[in-house]
Amino acid sequence: MTILLQVTGLTKQFAERVVVDGIEFTLEKNTSTALIGPNGAGKTTTLSMLTGLLKPTSGSVKMLDGDLRANIGFLPQYPQFHPWLSALEFTEMAAKLNGVPTKKAKVEAQKTLEFVGLGNDLNKKISTFSGGMRQRLGISQAIVHKPKLLLLDEPVSALDPVGRREVLDLLKGLQQETTILYSTHILNDAEEMTDQLLFLRDGKLVEQGTLREVRQRFDEPNYVVEFGTEKEAQLFASQSELIGEIKGSNVYIEIIDEKPSMQELLQHLSSCPNKIRKVERQTASLEEIFMKVARKI
Amino acid sequence: MRGFNVLLQKEFREAWRSWKFLWIPLVFALLGMSDPLTNYYMKDILNAVGNVPEGFEMLMPELMPVDLLQGSIGQFQTICLLVLMATFVGAISKERASGMATLLYVRPISFSAHFMSKFIVMSTVGFISILAGFAASIYYTVVLYGTFEIGPLVACFFTYFSWLLFVIAVTLMMSSTFKTVVATTCAFAVIFIGQILDSLVGTFWTISPWKLPLYGVQLMRGTMEMSDYWWSLAITLVISIICVIIGILTMKKNAPTTKI
Amino acid sequence: MEELAKVPWAVIAPLIVVQFILMIVALVDLRKIHATNGPKILWVFLIIFTSYLGSIAYFIVGRKQS
Repeated sequence: MTILLQVTGLTKQFAERVVVDGIEFTLEKNTSTALIGPNGAGKTTTLSMLTGLLKPTSGSVKMLDGDLRANIGFLPQYPQFHPWLSALEFTEMAAKLNGVPTKKAKVEAQKTLEFVGLGNDLNKKISTFSGGMRQRLGISQAIVHKPKLLLLDEPVSALDPVGRREVLDLLKGLQQETTILYSTHILNDAEEMTDQLLFLRDGKLVEQGTLREVRQRFDEPNYVVEFGTEKEAQLFASQSELIGEIKGSNVYIEIIDEKPSMQELLQHLSSCPNKIRKVERQTASLEEIFMKVARKI
Repeated sequence: MRGFNVLLQKEFREAWRSWKFLWIPLVFALLGMSDPLTNYYMKDILNAVGNVPEGFEMLMPELMPVDLLQGSIGQFQTICLLVLMATFVGAISKERASGMATLLYVRPISFSAHFMSKFIVMSTVGFISILAGFAASIYYTVVLYGTFEIGPLVACFFTYFSWLLFVIAVTLMMSSTFKTVVATTCAFAVIFIGQILDSLVGTFWTISPWKLPLYGVQLMRGTMEMSDYWWSLAITLVISIICVIIGILTMKKNAPTTKI
Repeated sequence: MEELAKVPWAVIAPLIVVQFILMIVALVDLRKIHATNGPKILWVFLIIFTSYLGSIAYFIVGRKQS
């Protein structure tokens, strides 16, 4: 894999407050990376520094394959457009400003707008656009010049479930040919479309790796056995040699080094006189991992 | 100046679609008309109001055409400049505050292209506006009073346009340097308080940008001391260029303050 | 009729025309614009009844961008 972007010791300080504190990571070509973290963790500040809008206090951002500024597309969390322009005019302007030749710019703009689903609204004024349409237009202005690196700040968090689904599918379509770095606090999105995870907390990068790696590090798998009543659950827990934690009518049994195995558990349960409603092996969702990372000191 | 043509097109579209090329010249035209008209009908107006005592003979000074044009320029100097400046003083600062600038600043364009595109559009609006204002004033003066010599008239017009370029450079520099409210205050202070100061204590010097509009009129009267004129013109242009340069630099410096 | 002929049209006409165009431009823009500062109907009255000052005020502070 070739590395596209290298970030070293990136730091941003506003007066006394250190907002981003020496973060380091690399982005490989044509991969998607999710930047996740609670509000105020420094996600937007980090992205702003990558775009070049904000100058880092120290550290550097290097694109190993060409000039950074000419090769990025950026979508802010709340993109603001010039309302008196039409969608086509705006996208065309974006293309031209990034050096797409005038003749080609209009064709490219049209194609891009069709790709993001605004094919029927090319000549409508942006002032009449809904939130979802604006987000699509925001994506189109970020990708019209085919940038090597696409930076997206909370690309779907302001959308309703349908709009979110559509925009996510759009972004997935781009994954093959573009390197994507996006911030989000909606972890389902990250789970769906990510090769690498970056956990940001208080301006520090506290965890990074592929979804699988992070999972392995933080997962505490267990079995859940659901009984009919709380009493039955308590009865089972007191009689069995398996140590379980009771929550309501559920018994949670921790798995340590793959012990006990599912077979052993089922054997135990087969002798249980009470009705069992459900047996399940649980792995932590990204949300639970996120909570663990967020609390980890 | 990368991206200049594209940005210029965008600025022209904006000014065109918000009617700036139409309504600001119309305001200049209206105020250009007002001085010749009110002066000519002053007697009728006073009579109509009806407070003139019996037998009272108004001593009306004999007005020359150039006096009416001077009156009109006086109108341009107050309300018209106020309108022009108020319309454009947010050109850069508002784009930052709203976040519209963000999607432009992340692209590989030069800030001089950005600044100059705004400067040229504001200058074009300004040029058309004073053209309309002068035309209206001259029309009424010619109909009601008498004619002008064309050469000095053109000289007066372009002298006023030079002053207008100075006003535009100051306005955009402030917009680039400060937030809209502060920019408005500062730009108005420089232009209007400058005018007041120059008329109050300006007898002590003869070379200043604020004197330029009056010097244009004096060119028509033939009473202009030419060395004062050329020096004032030169200094006005030099200060304007400096304002443009400062404007470009502060635009670049303030780019990170755009709302993201 | 004689009264009408006495009116100095060369003097009055341009003034009326310019004021009228300014008012129409303001009203057309007001009709098309997405949102204004303050209620739209207020601006309609200001533009129609305060000669050119209402129109100027509308263009400077009445129009709301974005």
